[in-house]
Amino acid sequence: MSKHHFNPYWIIAITALTAPAYAQDYLNTQQAQQVLFPEAETFMPLLVKINEQQRDDIKAISGVRQRWDIQKVWKVVQKGQHIGWFVIDDVVGKHEFITYAIGLSVDGHVVGIEIMSYRETKGDQVRNSDWRNQFKQKTIKDPFKLDQDIPNISGATLSCRNLTDGVKRILALQQVALNHEP
Amino acid sequence: MSHKRRMRAILGTFVEIAVNHPQADIVISLAFAEMQLVHDLMSFHDPNSELSMLNQNQGRRMPLSKHTHKVLMLAQEMMHKSNGLFNCMVGGALVKRKALPQHNQAQALEQGNVDDLVLDETGATLKRNALVTLDGIAKGYAVDLAIEAMQAQGALSGWVNAGGDIRVFGNISLPVQIRNEHQALGEVFQVENTALATSCVNTHYDKRFPGLIYHRQHTPQIGTWSILAHKAWLADALTKVASLANAELRASIIQSLGGKCLNSANIKI
Repeated sequence: MSKHHFNPYWIIAITALTAPAYAQDYLNTQQAQQVLFPEAETFMPLLVKINEQQRDDIKAISGVRQRWDIQKVWKVVQKGQHIGWFVIDDVVGKHEFITYAIGLSVDGHVVGIEIMSYRETKGDQVRNSDWRNQFKQKTIKDPFKLDQDIPNISGATLSCRNLTDGVKRILALQQVALNHEP
Repeated sequence: MSHKRRMRAILGTFVEIAVNHPQADIVISLAFAEMQLVHDLMSFHDPNSELSMLNQNQGRRMPLSKHTHKVLMLAQEMMHKSNGLFNCMVGGALVKRKALPQHNQAQALEQGNVDDLVLDETGATLKRNALVTLDGIAKGYAVDLAIEAMQAQGALSGWVNAGGDIRVFGNISLPVQIRNEHQALGEVFQVENTALATSCVNTHYDKRFPGLIYHRQHTPQIGTWSILAHKAWLADALTKVASLANAELRASIIQSLGGKCLNSANIKI
């Protein structure tokens, strides 16, 4: 009997962070390297070219399509030892690309993941609205200070599934294309 | 005065943490670690999480970490106080509708009730093959832990936004907008020293926003439900109550449970 009462109302649970048409930059390349590999002293940049066969292999291993044929990768060196890989990658967020950095150990484990830049579209409401006026009454003596330009958003929760897929793809790319790098 | 901000993907969504602290990166990493701990313990998606172990061992008393025990206790209390409008025993229904993954659970009951979760001092036992799902309340709890971790390090101010579960502390005023169920943004307002959570109820499924409210006896009302409360776990749990409550009683029910329904002017587009 319970089935008769079920209504398929999907709850779009809660949301994204910066207002649309804006990029919120969290870390630049150097900062992301520092966060993921604080002990390393050298990051050697490589442009890894992915051929047709390697793209097929990446798809077969990870279930995710490698869309570009060049991937930016840094070889991470500490005290003369190759300790891992640092990769910058993009995945689609709500509409726009989200740029993230991933640290990998030489044996194929994720050391850490950091979002470098989060982007959204449709920012007109923020720019055009006079929301800044709300803060005009505030003086320097007010205990509460406005700290940022772009409002946080509370709404339905944006899934990070695409990022999870991106990480799977990069782990496959390591097997297919990086383990053979000198 | 400035806040260092970082973002990671935890608890199935994008989480921004910001703090005003001389060693901001270290403090933010500590706060992220607290949230990751909640993710590892209470993920329904991970078949090896403590929550999944509980769900897969029906009828057996399972020892629990203090955090999982605490969240289950908060959830159970909320089920009691809200007369079942809040219900974390709907894992079976969500698995059946493919909103949550099927692990090794036995044939699961679609919806259990508060009596199907038996808590003792340090553990829990599940009855009648009811499956627990802690998604929103665990996310809110993780936000609260992250805030406490930053405060314990002497941070003066900061905020966490875990996919819309927001909590702000210290002498800052955080501008916030509500995004409604049609993806439009409301007016900007300020949040100070409080938690805010929002759930949107819509008739169609969007895989980018894959949440689902299920209740056997009550139909969630289409709309955007935003709640202010002193803790993020409470704000998140009360969004579910608000979506299911009788419209005339909604405001007073939410108030009696410790939250405040956000004025519709804040949501108005």
